[in-house]
Amino acid sequence: MTLENIKVLVVDDDEVSRIGCERILELSKYEVDLAEDGMEGLEKIRNNNYDLVVTDLMMPRMDGMQFLEEIRKIDEKIVPIVITGYATIENAVDAVKKGAYDYLAKPFTPDEFRAKIERALEKRRLLLEAEKLRAEHIIEKTRTNTIINCMSEGVIATNKEGQILLINPAALKMLRLKDGDVFGKNVLGLLSNPDLEKKIADALSKVTSCEILEKFEVNLGNGRVLQPNITPVIDENGALIGTVTVLIDVSEEKKIDQMKTDFLSLVAHELKAPLGAIEGYLNLILEGVITGNPEKEKDYITKSRDRANELLAMVNDLLDLTRAEKKVTAKVMSALDISSVLRGTCEFYKNEAKAKDINFACDVPDQLPPIRGNEEDMGRVFDNLVSNAIKYTPEHKSVHVQVTVEKNKINVIVKDTGIGMSEEDKHKIFDEFYRAKNAVSQRISGTGLGLSIAKRIIEDHNGYIEMDSDLGNGSTFTVVLPVIEENIK
Amino acid sequence: MKDIKILLADDDPDFIEINKTILESKGYTVEEAYTSSDALKKLRENQYDLLVLDLMMEERDAGFTVAYAVREDENMKHMPILMLSSAQEKTGFTFQLSNDKEWMKVDDFAAKPLKPSELIERVEKLLNQDQA
Repeated sequence: MTLENIKVLVVDDDEVSRIGCERILELSKYEVDLAEDGMEGLEKIRNNNYDLVVTDLMMPRMDGMQFLEEIRKIDEKIVPIVITGYATIENAVDAVKKGAYDYLAKPFTPDEFRAKIERALEKRRLLLEAEKLRAEHIIEKTRTNTIINCMSEGVIATNKEGQILLINPAALKMLRLKDGDVFGKNVLGLLSNPDLEKKIADALSKVTSCEILEKFEVNLGNGRVLQPNITPVIDENGALIGTVTVLIDVSEEKKIDQMKTDFLSLVAHELKAPLGAIEGYLNLILEGVITGNPEKEKDYITKSRDRANELLAMVNDLLDLTRAEKKVTAKVMSALDISSVLRGTCEFYKNEAKAKDINFACDVPDQLPPIRGNEEDMGRVFDNLVSNAIKYTPEHKSVHVQVTVEKNKINVIVKDTGIGMSEEDKHKIFDEFYRAKNAVSQRISGTGLGLSIAKRIIEDHNGYIEMDSDLGNGSTFTVVLPVIEENIK
Repeated sequence: MKDIKILLADDDPDFIEINKTILESKGYTVEEAYTSSDALKKLRENQYDLLVLDLMMEERDAGFTVAYAVREDENMKHMPILMLSSAQEKTGFTFQLSNDKEWMKVDDFAAKPLKPSELIERVEKLLNQDQA
């Protein structure tokens, strides 16, 4: 840091002395102001920014000592130099004690004067630098506080007695505490969580290195779970001076974890059911329960094979489900005319419908406004809906695929005249592995995953699926998909 | 021999068929129910000597719903119940009858599928206990 536009005030009642100083200083390119006594000097100091003040001690109206004190009151960083007659050298020493930076006995040579000025300017430079550092430190401290206060993690700092020195809003919120209540208080009994309090107390009781203690979780009830990281704070001599606790809210992760576990247990159970049935049928044959009845044996082997096929379909559907779970960004989504996809589906299931003598009508326009979608996924949705419609419709009845276009959306309607489902089943039909009761009792095979996969895919496409059903008379599924905006007429 | 009537409650038609075949081969009369409400209806309308009950039917704990209703009903609270489930471990339900009999309210619990000989053995044991 270098000083620029250096300004010096010279205060002396002796005009010769004043002008002498002014000359010398101006030769050094400094800006110089002059005052005849302390009163005038103070006036100028209040209105200007001086780096140095050069002052005589013996002046009328206000003596130099008082003048020095007044300068300090106005600005502590102004560096004063006292110039005084030889006879008053003791006063000069007093003046230095009172805050003058240096003194110079009259008479002095210009070089002596310049040397004193240079030293005083160096002092001035250091004072300004220190002030700047202090200001930066304050800003830094404010900045750190702001950061800590904005953190989504809770932060609690304590001293070694366990009294709270700092607690950020996130921590207050997580622990349901009020700001004013906690500062300076001991954490024990305050956090309304004995677990957490004990761990902080533990951290305070042992002087260890500055490492995070073992991970643990704190259950706050209502599914709220915190994961605190408690760190003892050690000073440079190795003494414990307090703790810092960072609280992370892991409630959401816990919830997802639980859902995953539940789903896995459900999957395991659903996979075991067909395996159990196959094993059961094989046991009937192997243990000779139906010996001598080849018809029955053949029936049971066929049923075992059907369940094996079901198991395979379920594994495939589970893989589809995993694929459907991949986020939209991971998939190729492009402008897609679903009319060709739908026609492909209808073509594929035509023979299946014919085999059951089902009147299969497929009213799909030649062209539809494009949606943003993944062709393979859409195919999976329509395949699922159309194959279901045919599967659950008895022989000689009908299935109708229809498309209507509204201003900003396309409705794909798949209507069957099949077994339909009860009110209770309607609410659960999109749940994973859920199968309508009449479908199960009528031994219509299925994995219970198709519709949940379809629903996920459609929702990934920002659409939705609706269903209506009449038990015994059929079901209607309607897929609603949004048209790409610039194509809305 | 007195005609012994057994009710099989299971939402899986194959398990019904398998267990029905086994029990009928031993001369028992077997009736079937596919849901817990169907099972309760049949239990209240008829007299059975034994209930073979699947745990997870339309609800994950449908079997318990039936077992509890049976125990609270004066007419059938002493009827032996054999609970079957493919859920034993790693599937959310881990229990052993020895520890959990008190609240399970069933007389026997076994993993699905039971071998024919094992099912017969367990059924006979429960029926004999009942008579004793």
